[in-house]
Amino acid sequence: MIQTQRINWILVVSLLIFPLIAYFHLTVGQQEISLTDFKNAIFSYDSTNTAQLLAREFRFPRLIMACVAGAGLSLAGMLMQTLFNNPLAGPYVLGINSGASLMVAISLLTGIQFFGTNVGLISSALIGAFAAGMLMMSVVGFLKSQVSLLLVGLMFGSFTSAIVSFLEISSKAEQLKSFTLWSMGSLQNVLLEQIPLILLFFVIGIILSALIVKPLNLLVLGENAASLLGIKIQQMRIIILIITALFTGLITAFCGPIAFVGLAVPNITRILLKTQNHLYLIAGNLLIGSAFLMLCDILIQVVESEIQLPINVLTSLIGAPFVIFILIRKMK
Amino acid sequence: MIHFKQAEIGYQDPLLKVTDLTLEAGNVYALVGRNGSGKSTFLRSITSQTPLLAGEITINSVSIKNANAIEKSKTIAFVESKFDGIAFLTVANYLALGRAPYTNALGRLSQVDWDFVNQVANEIGIEAFLQKDTLSLSDGERQLCAIARAIVQETPVLLLDEPSAFLDYANKQILVDKLLQIAREKQKCIVFSTHDLDLCIENNIEFIALKNKSLHKASGLTKPELISLLEEKG
Repeated sequence: MIQTQRINWILVVSLLIFPLIAYFHLTVGQQEISLTDFKNAIFSYDSTNTAQLLAREFRFPRLIMACVAGAGLSLAGMLMQTLFNNPLAGPYVLGINSGASLMVAISLLTGIQFFGTNVGLISSALIGAFAAGMLMMSVVGFLKSQVSLLLVGLMFGSFTSAIVSFLEISSKAEQLKSFTLWSMGSLQNVLLEQIPLILLFFVIGIILSALIVKPLNLLVLGENAASLLGIKIQQMRIIILIITALFTGLITAFCGPIAFVGLAVPNITRILLKTQNHLYLIAGNLLIGSAFLMLCDILIQVVESEIQLPINVLTSLIGAPFVIFILIRKMK
Repeated sequence: MIHFKQAEIGYQDPLLKVTDLTLEAGNVYALVGRNGSGKSTFLRSITSQTPLLAGEITINSVSIKNANAIEKSKTIAFVESKFDGIAFLTVANYLALGRAPYTNALGRLSQVDWDFVNQVANEIGIEAFLQKDTLSLSDGERQLCAIARAIVQETPVLLLDEPSAFLDYANKQILVDKLLQIAREKQKCIVFSTHDLDLCIENNIEFIALKNKSLHKASGLTKPELISLLEEKG
């Protein structure tokens, strides 16, 4: 009971800090935009007003994308970690990102007509993510230790990036440019018109996750114990894979690969909340994940005038040492 | 209670044939046999995780093969040889997971469920640990928690795979005492695999000995008799 109070308290505090971070994120850009302009951009939009135009077409989509990407990747990471019973799992280290990236590379670099469209890009990223997830799922049975799963994921990542490099060499300059821009990762690529579709996918993913809270709580005991408590393991694996692919594919398609968020945030959330109840963990990952990526993106915009820092570079700079930290903690 | 009819247990080739065996409620059975004699497979065949090659196992006259996952989880509880503990999972919440077959889609426990969890914790003698993290306990304490979790599941059958393997002498005795007490008070049928022959003989536990692809019920044997039974060729 004391535990629940503590969790509620942390969640409420994060919920209170959340709008503050969002406000900073909105106002941090080089052009100053007043609060009234933000308000008008939503309620009485005037497209001839530059400030309102900036707010509506750039700041809001970027903010939403930062939240969706941070929260979605963290939730995907949490699902992977629970399914594989491995705190080192995550969409990036398990190669789910790589699968999506490979398919996007094929779309953008081969110039096949279908893939050039929006729908083509998203669906190819989703298919890539799902296929990579299936591959990892089929491999996991042969692996004895938690670290080897990580190694297989990273090897798969190297393998796909080799194919991507090959595609890059043999592609046209124009296609190469659009792919390179995508692969740097950015939260600014998304257009206002695409936001409703993204939010729809995002909300579906959250609802699906919330529906499997009970199986997730039992999976913490391991697959064997969970199945003896009435969980249909095969079915649950597929559901978790679909949700993970949904989040990862969607986010990778629009923002490019974003590393380590899905690994680091679920661990931070668990350490902060000190619980294995996935109802709280889902809420925590949504809040902390979006806050984390907003903060990263604020930092990027603060240093923007000095250096261009792709989001993927920043999350790797923070995330890679974090993995080493977890490894050391586990080995002790 | 548990009844084996012409059951052939194993993977491609039968590892064990059990023509006719009945295990009664209220009893504790020690499953003994050399390494590789099929103790684990025998237990896994009862949970139907290893499907029978032929024949049938029934529990209270219901064939376990046809039961769905939820029915099965209300019939059989399983304790693995070691519970390593899970970070940030308190003993109370760990025990609560044992109520899963009875809770709704969110897995929320009712007050009645919680009362039962507390009652079991008292019976097993782990009420002092309820708010502790499962990682912070000793191996012996954790094993008692694992057994409590299985009792919370409220099943007529309780299976344990080498539950005494990682326990010191005093904890082995506590374990056996608890198992005997649970079988008697709750009228459960308990089967546990073990290599601790002395422990079972001292406590007068009935043996199921696995040898040469067949199974022998035995009780009241001395250790030399039991060992010669297990070692005997052909």
